[in-house]
Amino acid sequence: MNETITKGHFSEEQIDKDLLKNVNWGGKFKLWMGFLTVSLIICLYYYYQQLQNGLGVTGLHDYVSWGIYISNFVFFVATSLIGMLVSSVLGMMKVSWVRPVARIAELVAVAFAMVAGLIIITDMGRPDRLLNVFIHGRVQSPIVWDIAVVVTYVVISALLLYIPMLPDIALCRDKLNNVPKWQQKMYKSLSLGWNSTAKQFRLMNRYTRILLVLIIPIALSIHTVTSWLFAMTLRSGWDSPIFGPYFVSGAFVAGCAAVIIAMFFFRNNYKLKEYITADHFDRMGKLLVLVALVYVYFNINEIIVPGYKANTADAKHVHEMLYGHDSVMFWLVQLGGLVVPFLLILFKPMRKPLPLTIISLVILAGAWFKRVLIVVPTQLAPYYPIQNVPEGWTGYSPTTPEVAITVASFILVLMIITVLAKLFPVVPIWEVKEDMNHKNN
Amino acid sequence: MNMANKNDKSRRSFLQKLGIAGASTVAGSALLLQGCSDSNKASGNKVKVLTADNKLVEVDVAHLKPGDKIQDLSYLQKRGREGIPGKKFVMVVDLAKCKNARKCMKACQSAHQLKPEMHHLNVLEMEDPVKKTSYWMPKTCQHCDNPPCVSVCPVDATFKRQDGIVLIDNERCIGCRFCVAACPYSARTFNWTEPKNSDKMADVTYDMELNVPQKKGTVTKCAFSADQLRHGKLPYCVSACPNGVYYFGDQNEDLVTNGTTKKTVRLSHLLEENAAYTLMPELGTKPSVYYLPPRESEG
Amino acid sequence: MKNNKGYNLIILFCLCFLAVANVNAQSDWQAPAEENEKLSPFLFDDDMVLEGRVAYENSCTSCHGTPGQDDFTPMSPPPGDPGAEAFQAQSDGSIFYKIKMGRGTMPKFEDAFADDELWNIVAYIRSFNEDYKQELPNMEGVVIPEYAMRLSFDENVDKLVVKIFAEEVPQPEVSVSAYVMGTFGKHLLGKAQTNELGIAYVDVDPTLPGDEEGKINVMVKATKGFARAKLQQDLAMAKPTERHSAIEGRHIWSTDRMAPIWLKITFFVSVFGVWFALLFIVFGLRNIKKAREEA
Repeated sequence: MNETITKGHFSEEQIDKDLLKNVNWGGKFKLWMGFLTVSLIICLYYYYQQLQNGLGVTGLHDYVSWGIYISNFVFFVATSLIGMLVSSVLGMMKVSWVRPVARIAELVAVAFAMVAGLIIITDMGRPDRLLNVFIHGRVQSPIVWDIAVVVTYVVISALLLYIPMLPDIALCRDKLNNVPKWQQKMYKSLSLGWNSTAKQFRLMNRYTRILLVLIIPIALSIHTVTSWLFAMTLRSGWDSPIFGPYFVSGAFVAGCAAVIIAMFFFRNNYKLKEYITADHFDRMGKLLVLVALVYVYFNINEIIVPGYKANTADAKHVHEMLYGHDSVMFWLVQLGGLVVPFLLILFKPMRKPLPLTIISLVILAGAWFKRVLIVVPTQLAPYYPIQNVPEGWTGYSPTTPEVAITVASFILVLMIITVLAKLFPVVPIWEVKEDMNHKNN
Repeated sequence: MNMANKNDKSRRSFLQKLGIAGASTVAGSALLLQGCSDSNKASGNKVKVLTADNKLVEVDVAHLKPGDKIQDLSYLQKRGREGIPGKKFVMVVDLAKCKNARKCMKACQSAHQLKPEMHHLNVLEMEDPVKKTSYWMPKTCQHCDNPPCVSVCPVDATFKRQDGIVLIDNERCIGCRFCVAACPYSARTFNWTEPKNSDKMADVTYDMELNVPQKKGTVTKCAFSADQLRHGKLPYCVSACPNGVYYFGDQNEDLVTNGTTKKTVRLSHLLEENAAYTLMPELGTKPSVYYLPPRESEG
Repeated sequence: MKNNKGYNLIILFCLCFLAVANVNAQSDWQAPAEENEKLSPFLFDDDMVLEGRVAYENSCTSCHGTPGQDDFTPMSPPPGDPGAEAFQAQSDGSIFYKIKMGRGTMPKFEDAFADDELWNIVAYIRSFNEDYKQELPNMEGVVIPEYAMRLSFDENVDKLVVKIFAEEVPQPEVSVSAYVMGTFGKHLLGKAQTNELGIAYVDVDPTLPGDEEGKINVMVKATKGFARAKLQQDLAMAKPTERHSAIEGRHIWSTDRMAPIWLKITFFVSVFGVWFALLFIVFGLRNIKKAREEA
């Protein structure tokens, strides 16, 4: 695994040219951003409605008081975890093939983590009182830990994106003369006077290493704490001691899938076939097999253990999942969204860029619905019967505003990734060059 | 009263000699709970009060009357968080007596300004899986001594007081609904939309012991009618019950009073003699609400 | 077959009888003649009406509704509106007796209220009747002694000792009832009669919790004929009990101020630790800038 897999030999000029190509504001980009902006504005209108009329515009009610907002939040936190796995764990193990895709993983991590924080705000009944969390915060509440960790994770991910990018920003500063003035200025100040001196490289490597170490516990705790939002309650279906590792393993599945999709997109649109190769997809596919295997293992535990003992409340919950009200979604998600894709990518042809991307899309969609399955059915099986309330309260179906606000979160992620990918090279140029030199010598 | 004047004077003075009209017991106990044992001494703390005849005056905390509407938010907030010293309030629900009259639910909803689908108190029809019968079970907040809802609150908006009551400060609640998710008894409800009568209630000073006015985007739940207890009165639901279902009292005194008959009995005896239980004791929440089992014969 | 028809008839007859009996439950309920003629020894004045109202609202409204509003709970037999004409047609003694003794779904209030409190309720009910004129007992020639009461506790036998005097003379055969004053009502300890020495003994449960010194608020009422007395005082006759606040100590559910120390330390050490490292890096970025010239 420790060989570099960028194909062919290019001159440094060629590499610069290829990898800086995407840094421009082309017509396609404007069209795409225009589309995203209009969609976002439509969705924001629904959020305005929610602010005006309260959370009543959603399908939430007293029995399902957490719905797709929270599921979506869990999904976003999960997806953002991949940054840690790829750049930190594999990076520190000196797995060099990940280096060209590490920045893409970091981009995905930053975008999803940032938006995750916003999603939590849309779920609040009183977003105007957000500051109360900082004024009156209670350390016993997992929410306070969650906010602390999410904020920290966003900052670490951003730094981990930025610091290793310094040489590339300097390159942008030096080579891109036809970009707008403000952009040139931005490169100038962001590059911190990068001059490729040995000391600068030494400092950069040291800070990166600190961040790489730091991000492991933070990333693990961000998702563990998120799982505690559920596991710390006494509800059957949530009251499970393996929720932490269960969530973390699920996070890697979703994150891998998201990175594969992003890789495919950048590879085709930015013409990076020589830098993000079929080999990369093959290896990401193998990584996905590994993390999916762990996740399947946790899923089996999560269902078999309470199902075997069948104490009153847990048995009801498991029964609803396997045969009852939620069974269609459950089997679709578990088989269609996890087991079948996992079996497929065991075969090498399925790990080619296009099939793997399609499978990743399915896995990502399955991962999203999986979060809904974790959040909603437990609430629909309370210990005491649901009575004397409107009939609709025995179920849950999201409303248009709710769906629109959720869509808005995805639009935001796309916008963040798009803009960042237009400002900076998505493949670390200096690392590719370094590899190439290493190989040539 | 008219007829009093009609009676001749000599008879009146004669009768008054009998040492009649014993010192008022109800009013007497009201003063006990004011938080100020000596009602004649001024405490020096003044609060703004709207009197029964709609006058805004400033009175000493020690001279507050039950009918006064206090206009001072900070005083109400402080009082609400402190609770009543030396008390530990408990409720006993006698399921054998509940006939689903729902007077309690009505009284509760009107006192707390709740919409019809919002329940601080919900009378549930429970199935007995063994006997294939059903019984009615009023379910309130259990005011647990190990409250899972309070544990998870990120901002101290819901809290337990020294008298055992779990309250919500809806001036602080951020509406995250973690407490709703954490409560195994589904005792909490949320103001999903603009609350009932919100325009009429706009000028009312918020009293967390009553949790009125309700606020959009905040959680609300049973407060054991803490506002009533302060005046020595029984909770709204307890005194509204026509069937003698509810007992309410102070565990420290070991006395509970039936809301219908006003009979005061020993809590420990009542619980022991009737094989009382709490809801889901295995969860370790330690509820302050006890249940006496439903009648065996009735279906 | 014929036999069967006969049974049916009997059942039908019984049902009809029950139905009629049900409808008339209210009017059928007659207080014993002696009770019926009983008169209140107290004059129904505003104070009594006010107190009666409080008692009524706490104990009666749930079934009988507000007098005169016809909003009583539909029950079988119907509880009736105390403001209604039929209800008011009863004598004071009859209303008093029915509240005191109860019947069927009407609870018995004997233990909850003393006689004077029951008369308060009668006074309140009568206040809804414009035409009512209180009939008072004939008191001429009756000498009513003024009682003095002394309470003590005999811890050897766990008994409350009530001594009753009238002008220093012990009073025998006085009915004594002793109550413990609870937050929301009074708990009947027991009833007794004084002996020739004017002493009555009431059993006290030694497990009854008092305050730190074992003090408890007791109320004793004494009646004999028209003579009556009442005394309420704190008496050290209960088990000394220390009262604990329900929120003592540090728990996961405590307020932030009372959070478990280990949790606070863990949280702040880890958060500040990580942010210290992050700030170190952020400020370190300046060093990168400084290092742009090769040494």
